[in-house]
Amino acid sequence: MPVMEATKRMVRINGCVASAQAAKYADVDVIAAYPIRPYTATMMALAQMVANGELDAEYIVADSEHSQLSIAHGAASAGARVFTGSSGVGVQFAYELYSPISGSRMPVQMMIADRTLDPPGDFGSEHTDALSTRDMGWLMGWSCDAQEAFDNHLIAYRIGEDRRVLLPQMVCQDGFFVSHITGDVELPDMGQVREFLPPYKHPYPLDPRHPVSHGPQIMPEQGPPLQLERARAMEESMAVVEQAHEEFAQIFGRKYDPWLEEYKTDDAEVVFFLQGAHAVTAKFAIQHMRERGIKVGMVRLRTIRPYPTEQVRESLSKFKVVGVIETNMALGSVSSGGALYAEAAAALYEADKHPLVMSFMAGMGGEAIVLKEFYWMTEKMIEAQKRGKIEKRTHWVGFEH
Amino acid sequence: MATIEVQRQILPILESPNKGARFYNPELPQSEPFVPGHRTCAGCGPSIQYRMTSKAAGDNTILVGPTGCMYVANSSYLCTPYNVPWAHTQIGSSGSFTAGVSAAYEAMIRKGKWQGKFPNIICEAGDGSSSDIALASISGALYRNHDCLIICYDNEQYANTGIQASSRTPYGGMTTFSPPGPEVPEGKKLYPKDLARMMAAGHPHCYVGTASVGYPIDLMNKVRKGLNHKGAAFLMIYTPCQKGFVYETPRSIDLGRLVVECGLYPMWEWSPEKREYDYSFRPASMRPVSEYLKLQGRFGHLHAEHVANLQKFANRQWKMMGIQIPEALLLAEDAKNVTNMAAAAEAQAVAETV
Ligand SMILES: Cc1ncc(C[n+]2csc(CCOP(=O)(O)OP(=O)(O)O)c2C)c(N)n1
Ligand code: SF4
Ligand SMILES: [Mg+2]
Repeated sequence: MPVMEATKRMVRINGCVASAQAAKYADVDVIAAYPIRPYTATMMALAQMVANGELDAEYIVADSEHSQLSIAHGAASAGARVFTGSSGVGVQFAYELYSPISGSRMPVQMMIADRTLDPPGDFGSEHTDALSTRDMGWLMGWSCDAQEAFDNHLIAYRIGEDRRVLLPQMVCQDGFFVSHITGDVELPDMGQVREFLPPYKHPYPLDPRHPVSHGPQIMPEQGPPLQLERARAMEESMAVVEQAHEEFAQIFGRKYDPWLEEYKTDDAEVVFFLQGAHAVTAKFAIQHMRERGIKVGMVRLRTIRPYPTEQVRESLSKFKVVGVIETNMALGSVSSGGALYAEAAAALYEADKHPLVMSFMAGMGGEAIVLKEFYWMTEKMIEAQKRGKIEKRTHWVGFEH
Repeated sequence: MATIEVQRQILPILESPNKGARFYNPELPQSEPFVPGHRTCAGCGPSIQYRMTSKAAGDNTILVGPTGCMYVANSSYLCTPYNVPWAHTQIGSSGSFTAGVSAAYEAMIRKGKWQGKFPNIICEAGDGSSSDIALASISGALYRNHDCLIICYDNEQYANTGIQASSRTPYGGMTTFSPPGPEVPEGKKLYPKDLARMMAAGHPHCYVGTASVGYPIDLMNKVRKGLNHKGAAFLMIYTPCQKGFVYETPRSIDLGRLVVECGLYPMWEWSPEKREYDYSFRPASMRPVSEYLKLQGRFGHLHAEHVANLQKFANRQWKMMGIQIPEALLLAEDAKNVTNMAAAAEAQAVAETV
């Protein structure tokens, strides 16, 4: 059914297909594809939609991820709405383009289904691929199921294309746990999408009727004002992020806190702090532990760029112990574990009350984090709470007793 | 789905293509999409080419500028020489960024989001970009046949980074990455990558050609043919760089003709319709390579045997084009018949000017 006539309906699809559906509903003009597992399934679905005439877009099979992102950059500069994506080493092959795209303020959208980085080759999900680009000026956040993935794509276009923001977006989902697990997804009425996401219009596209020069060479003193503008756009996007989530809830009836999802935190003493799909298992583990009277909860970070510093501080300072579940590597970093610890700890620095913060290297290599590992991590947090101090900051889960 | 048919521009071909640089042609368009006010060196071949190319294209044009001299020395923030839309892109993104612009216009016109004739989309990539770091990116754009023209302005080196050897640097060419010395007297040991022929052979559905700033009308006509061709086109254009070649700045156009007359820059077109090369271009005369080499400091260190090697190379190009080689040029293949270009001390002096 051509998307223009689509009416609201439930479908059972995986995260990759949900992302493809979102791109279709966003009526993207240019798609740049290159194969790498697991995100490939999104591009496969889009290729079929274009072949079926369900979506009118230029579907480009690029010669590399560097080219994918350059195509996306060029197409967005000309004024088109653009969709691309990647996984793992593919995300890194394109690395050069992340700063030029955000610096030229092109709201390109990129879907990431996470994959570990080489070596050696591993298909499993780890967030290091996307996180390694986290300071390049892209809006970034993780979903934890297919429905949220679908929604996040539409919300991200809405935020990124807002004239107050004009920044590219990385819409991330865990490889396999979201990308390849089917769930019920409500596909909207096209009227809802039109109401939420206005047609894209960049203020200064490459248009022969209004000649502009994009990205001329600058003198050193001309750089900082431009960098400052990009930094401000990222800061000021926070209000737009909130507004977009509010309007999304009004139009689509699904309400997300834009920054943090809290689960059983009201009376919690120890909490997990994480991003993405492992939140689903965490909730089960928490339910089981709650039945045994353990005061454990979860805080899930939904948006990491811009980083919700105030919200994280306010939330995490309520607890005695915070256990950061990393699912990424930041070798030699402050915790010698993952990248999430450092920012959570920094956000807490100015808090009145400081929880103990520890870092769990779990879900590494794309392994599921099983219930007994959540129990084990909870024990470690409770031990620390009893001692009143951290003895070991970083634990590689599954490698200790 | 209702779609709108994309209308494309057809630019007229200029008469008298072969009369050389000083020939005034009243048919030349008035428009100047590339204006003075940039910071390129005096006599800069690439920027002379830039003006000719953009003039041939006209105002309904979008330019893409990968990193290189034609980015760095041309565009300065708050002061731009481009009268048409222009965007910088990364040095490895020449073909891909250009493909993105082209694809965007296909989609936007078809979907009614932009009204007007499809613009000329031209990428001005250096030889370092085209023959090395963006080779795959350009090949991808040609292979997929996006409606665009990709130009390799060939100054035979990475100029903007301070003159380093690229895959297009000629045998014997001195650069800061291929300096001559007692162990490597010729400087650059490798012969240039046959970039334009690679592009023609690998993407036979594209219009491909070579041109030189020495023949402006021919150059502009090839630009127009490339733009009129519905799909991708590639031109490799000889553009001397006085900083790297080390010559007197008024001689840029002379070099542009000498390089062709010496057989070091074969001029041809590949026809995507006929699927064959057109070698009918004839320079006014044929000369030994030494006449071209001796004007440039970058060849000042060459010994007779190296000059002879370059003559062999040039003769192979004449042969490839099916042109009969005069006996004098065959004799010049023998080092005994050639003299050394310069003594080592003079080569050293030239090296210091680079
Ligand atoms: C990824 C990357 N690597 C290296 C450079 C450094 N760089 C800047 S300009 C340039 C020279 C480009 O040479 P060419 O394409 O031949 O253009 P020219 O300078 O000769 O005009 C290089 C290598 C860069 N900008 N980006
Ligand atoms: S260095 Fe060469 S290519 Fe660069 S501006 Fe000067 S003459 Fe032109
Ligand atoms: Mg060059």
